[in-house]
Amino acid sequence: MSKSTLNAQSQEAVAAHLEECMRRTAQKRDKAAFGELFDHYAPLLRAYSLAREPGAMLVADELAQTVLVKVWNKAQTFDKQKASLNTWIYTLARNSRIDMLRRNSRYTMEIDPEFLWAEEVDEQADPFVAVQQKRAEDTIANAFQHLPIEQQEVLTKVYLEGKSHQESAEELKLPLGTVKSRIRLAIQKLQVLVGR
Amino acid sequence: MTVNYHPSTELLTAYAAGSIPLSQALCLAAHIEMCDSCKQNYKRLRGLGAFMFGQGSEQEHAASRETNAHKNLRQQVFAQIEQDKAVESTQEKAPALLQSQLQEDHLGKDHLGKGRLSSRRNKADAGVKTQTRIPKCLQQFIPTSYEDLPWQRVSPSIKQVNLCSDANGAQVALLKIKPGGSSGHHTHMGDEYTMVLKGAFSDETGIFQQGDFIVRDKKHRHRPIATKDSECICLTVVEAPIQFTGYFSRWLNPLLRLIHPSYAMQNQ
Repeated sequence: MSKSTLNAQSQEAVAAHLEECMRRTAQKRDKAAFGELFDHYAPLLRAYSLAREPGAMLVADELAQTVLVKVWNKAQTFDKQKASLNTWIYTLARNSRIDMLRRNSRYTMEIDPEFLWAEEVDEQADPFVAVQQKRAEDTIANAFQHLPIEQQEVLTKVYLEGKSHQESAEELKLPLGTVKSRIRLAIQKLQVLVGR
Repeated sequence: MTVNYHPSTELLTAYAAGSIPLSQALCLAAHIEMCDSCKQNYKRLRGLGAFMFGQGSEQEHAASRETNAHKNLRQQVFAQIEQDKAVESTQEKAPALLQSQLQEDHLGKDHLGKGRLSSRRNKADAGVKTQTRIPKCLQQFIPTSYEDLPWQRVSPSIKQVNLCSDANGAQVALLKIKPGGSSGHHTHMGDEYTMVLKGAFSDETGIFQQGDFIVRDKKHRHRPIATKDSECICLTVVEAPIQFTGYFSRWLNPLLRLIHPSYAMQNQ
């Protein structure tokens, strides 16, 4: 068995275990289970915040705390038919970051972001779409490591560092058009989109 | 609904990552509410973000778990959920009626909001037939109907209402063009995002209908015309103000200078 299959298997086992912890957190208000979620996700959340603001440890702690308290308080609303646990927590982190950017006035206070990404609120889970999405996530996991470094680099800027195309172009010293085309090529290779 | 014009891959990616100005996100959100294929693709792009978020060196994460910062944070988070739990248990002692209300609160704003919005929608459906459903992301600016907004006359065939401005100076507005009316030749200093909320318009490059999403950059000089059968309402996000280039509409520029905040900033 190749190393990468082993790796994928152990990652899947970790994901299944975390989902079980999430179920116990939601249904039994089990603090030990929540503690395991905390230990897994706190470093990820901190790294996510530090990607945008290197060295800002307090900001990173604040984001991690906000998101993890939400995980506890909103545990009952998690539905694995709609999104994986990773996706659910990533979405909470992304939205919390937007809230923080508003508070330090890098984003406008005039627009309330609550319904700008709140697409899941009134939706029924669709098992067919869920299966498709799971398949897309597997494809991404396999293909990501084979992306050329320069394409991984722009995706990191946009997703983890939260940089606009313009900011990414400036920091990577590339023309704006190159940044955009690298994103397009990467998304194409990862086969993320349907119908394009 | 058939939507023909969609945001580019890289724009949808930036939206999924949450790394675009809120004014642009507003325009994309309005499109996504009306476009099932972009909704699905958005979710897949969000999945890519989740994958990247979940990656990283396991060694580093393991080391991070051993730090005092991690242990302190753990204590703080547990203290906070204990506190929240104490609040919850005092709520349990509340009278039955109040408690059911609290429970509804506990289910979250989303749940309550949904009830409110759907009742509002029902009322709207029962009322005047000309009303069109307002995308949820825009209801913060358009609480009742398009008709009730304080429209300002820009020209005989165009009315405009400013909704808000963004941190980067971009202006978010609604534009209403009379049936068959034209908004005049214009170019932009920056990008212009347009999303058709109601009706349809055409310009030199095509016909754009309800739900369509279009980006125009400063190279474009265009003259949108609403179709003859109905008025057209568009959401527009303009990074820098529009320049009217037609002979007769050049006089509009000083007027827009008064309306657009980035003009105001230039004049200061």
